[in-house]
Amino acid sequence: MAIRIQLDRILLERRMSLTELADRVGVTLANLSILKTGKARAIRFSTLDALCRELNCQPGDLLVHEPGPQDLTADDDGDD
Amino acid sequence: MRLPTLDNLKGRLPANGVAARVRFPRFRAPWRTLGPGSVASLLKVALDVAYLLLMLITAVLLIAFVAAIFIPVANYNVTVTDHDGGLQQPLTRPLLLFGLGALSAWVGGFLLILRNLRLIFRTLTAGDPFRPENVRRLRAIGLTLATVTAGVWVAQGMVAARLVPGVMDPQGFGELLTPIFSVLVVFVLAEVFREGARLRRESELTI
Repeated sequence: MAIRIQLDRILLERRMSLTELADRVGVTLANLSILKTGKARAIRFSTLDALCRELNCQPGDLLVHEPGPQDLTADDDGDD
Repeated sequence: MRLPTLDNLKGRLPANGVAARVRFPRFRAPWRTLGPGSVASLLKVALDVAYLLLMLITAVLLIAFVAAIFIPVANYNVTVTDHDGGLQQPLTRPLLLFGLGALSAWVGGFLLILRNLRLIFRTLTAGDPFRPENVRRLRAIGLTLATVTAGVWVAQGMVAARLVPGVMDPQGFGELLTPIFSVLVVFVLAEVFREGARLRRESELTI
């Protein structure tokens, strides 16, 4: 995925833990961890809104586009 | 009775000329179809019972198949027919083994289908049908159904042509139409489940 979430850096700057952010945003720690590690496929506007509100930042601060070879790996949908 | 003219109808139609869509009452089953205590769980119990019975029948047939290798089969006759009358054939050991083997394979095929169906219905009872495993199970059901149907067709053809020519009607391709349709429906269903599993995964990874 060419889109990367810079949650680590922003959390470090705000001196906030992932658990605290999860509590404030209302997203489970497991889901926030999926987001942080770049395993998420999509992010809802409502989640992005809550993250930006709690982290006091813009969506552009959270999301970064890193050009590279397109991810063509097959989905894990029963073809394995 | 007067038929409505175009002028009369114009007054009843909306201004843009498009007729209002007729709304039919939506049918909702008065019982739950998925989850614990639903129709799916009831069917799962029925499939469990059928699976056990079929396992017993398969075991008995396999024992009979092994026994047929050793038991004496002289002085027995078998009537081969698809209607009244038919043809008396001496029961030879190869014929007995062919019959029992074909029957065991047929029942065994349905045992495999039932096994996969049980596992699918287990996920339906849990209320989570779009699992990736169900795609594989449905494909396995389709393949087994195709194999069993083709096997029966070939075996019947062999009996009709070689064993008792003239007694049974020759096999036609028309008899394969319904099974082919069923197999194709199962494969299409497998693709539907694959798409469902993909959407489920997408949904899981949408934060």
